[in-house]
Amino acid sequence: MPHPSPRTSPPRMRRRLQFLLGLLFLLPVPASAQAPASPVPSGHGSYTAAHAAKARTQTADHSKFKILQGPFKDGDGPAVTRACLTCHTKAAQQVMATSHWTWNVAKDGEDGYGKSTALVNNYCLTIVGGNTEGCTRCHAGYGFKDKSFDFSRQENVDCLVCHDTTGDYEKERAGMPNPGVPLADVAQKVGTPTLKNCGACHFFGGGANATKHGDLDDTILKAPRTEDVHMSKQGAGMDCVDCHASDAHQVGGPNYVVPADRREQPKFAGESISRMSCTACHTDAPHQSYVLNRHYQKVACQTCHIPAFARGERPTNTFWDWASSGRLKEGRPYEEKDANGWPTYTSMRGKMVWERNVQPSYIWYNGNLKFTRLTDPLPASRPVVLNPAGGSYTDPNAKIWPFKFHEATQPYDPVLNRLVAPFTDGPPGSGAYWGDWNMDLAVKKGMEIASLPYSGKFEYIRTTMLWPITHMVAPKEQALACIECHSKHGRLDKVEGFYMPGRDRGTGVDLLGWGLVLLTTCAVAIHGIFRVVSSRSQGHS
Amino acid sequence: MSRLTLYPLFNRIWHWSQALLILLLILTGLEVRGTWHLFGYLRAVNLHNGSAVALVVLILFAIFWHVTTGEWRQYIPTRAFLHEMVAFYITGIFKNAPHPVRKERTAKLNPLQRLAYLGFKVLIIPVQVTTGALYFFYPNLQHALGWSPTALWFIAVIHVLGAFGLVAFLIGHVYLTTTGETPTANLKAMVVGWEDLPDEEATH
Repeated sequence: MPHPSPRTSPPRMRRRLQFLLGLLFLLPVPASAQAPASPVPSGHGSYTAAHAAKARTQTADHSKFKILQGPFKDGDGPAVTRACLTCHTKAAQQVMATSHWTWNVAKDGEDGYGKSTALVNNYCLTIVGGNTEGCTRCHAGYGFKDKSFDFSRQENVDCLVCHDTTGDYEKERAGMPNPGVPLADVAQKVGTPTLKNCGACHFFGGGANATKHGDLDDTILKAPRTEDVHMSKQGAGMDCVDCHASDAHQVGGPNYVVPADRREQPKFAGESISRMSCTACHTDAPHQSYVLNRHYQKVACQTCHIPAFARGERPTNTFWDWASSGRLKEGRPYEEKDANGWPTYTSMRGKMVWERNVQPSYIWYNGNLKFTRLTDPLPASRPVVLNPAGGSYTDPNAKIWPFKFHEATQPYDPVLNRLVAPFTDGPPGSGAYWGDWNMDLAVKKGMEIASLPYSGKFEYIRTTMLWPITHMVAPKEQALACIECHSKHGRLDKVEGFYMPGRDRGTGVDLLGWGLVLLTTCAVAIHGIFRVVSSRSQGHS
Repeated sequence: MSRLTLYPLFNRIWHWSQALLILLLILTGLEVRGTWHLFGYLRAVNLHNGSAVALVVLILFAIFWHVTTGEWRQYIPTRAFLHEMVAFYITGIFKNAPHPVRKERTAKLNPLQRLAYLGFKVLIIPVQVTTGALYFFYPNLQHALGWSPTALWFIAVIHVLGAFGLVAFLIGHVYLTTTGETPTANLKAMVVGWEDLPDEEATH
């Protein structure tokens, strides 16, 4: 007769059961494993609210100032500046101390990193080969035509390009205002820089809209939230200066140097380093999941939160082939366009490739891009990377960052092993490439203007330029899923120096493991079959 | 027939919770490794870490139970009937030979089971728990002690090989439950806690 053991008598049993079940449910499950709590209300502000606040903080109505009534002569920017300086007496001096004015940045104690120097890029190449007048359309100053520009004349500082709020202001060659601009009207309505002011130059880098950066173009002005969660008016409605905060006209920004969140010291006294990094607003632990937050040690926020660049209507330039430039039809330059109207060939620039929704390339980056100047010898490796990024897994300052890799061909001096500065922008007969269509002559002329040594012989070379991607942050719903990187042949397939779960699945370990599982299964199956067969034969006998 | 209580309530709750958690750990672990996609990567990672913590807590309770009840003695390896057990699985079982070891309340495991479960408890589980913890805290260790990426690779390889060992153990374990009086007798005992055994003294 079965007699229940006293150890499992019903009342005790029930009590124990309740106790143990209770314990199981009380197990400390990490917060990450719990269902996400109701989402944080999105949008910490709105465009309307932010701009109402900005308007409220203004203490001066500039239309009330007599000196701004004008009239100003058409295109006489310096006269407007003189008017501004009667009250803002120190403003021009402040601007003159910034890289927006000098276009020259010292890096590692070395001069010559900046647009007005011997720095070379992958697009229009360089300014110093006689291209000043065209390129300085964007300089925050008036009359920058050539090397003779007087960097110390206060009235040459262009106040309006940054402070115009009407949208009517426009710069022309050498940075002079378009003669059609109603200067008095613009001067009376000045205010804090908005997206449009910064965008007037920074959206158009590389000579045209969307060309250079890949994450900055004028579609941001009317962007849906999905294109740029910060700058979209449907999103936070932020202006550039909300992050790139300034101090005495010094605008915070990486500027060939180290990005803000990698820098220990401010670039200038008062620079708001914190405001330019994601963590300033979002903290360094913004996710509910501890595991996700820990990625911050080695992965830039941008890597997951900018799934693709050039997400607006405009494609960005990804290939620029100077080697094929200069072909003429009946002695005239021409253009070929694709179905969307983007140039696939222009005599001025050569073959070009334009792309939208581009998946970034990912590399280790500690904030240090090593730029190449006309005076620097080229490395032996090909293609030449104009600005290789520093960093590796073992570098505590490095993170995996998204980049736009821009490819190009450009002329170089194979004898001196240096890049060259062709004179591109000038009329026929000047020796400029876009006038006379002779690269040999253009390089000679450009190097002469730049006062740099040239062997007299040029060839084309393949060059790559790296552009860190940091704008066009997508809404969180569009952040990369884990599997985009944690899988074989995922986005981080080529990023080296570390073991990553989901990507680095060794075939040897798999063979060993599955071999053991297979062996056990076979042994069990054979044993089982023998048991069935033997029991049957015994049953029959 | 006599009804023998083999597995008290805690024993059974522990066994089946452990079984469930280990199954979940295997499924989610292989997803993290990239073998298949079942839960979604983030959910797999969170489930894996969550069930690992749950398993460790469960094991702590089990250790307490084993020590306080003296059940740990069930796992002391013995040579008695070891050869007979091996012979039984190799030949006897096919000839319908009787099981060489009789289960008792204080000795419910045969010598082969003692070896297998002891190995599971002192080898596989500690290795998995240790490598799992090192894996999870690798970023902290890397940061604090400067561990190289090779260390993480090594930890991961051991953890994965341990996991495959667990899968093999599971297959053998499940199969051997069918070698009782009837194919489901052992399984039933693990569910209800007792087993009806032919009563030798009943013939008197």
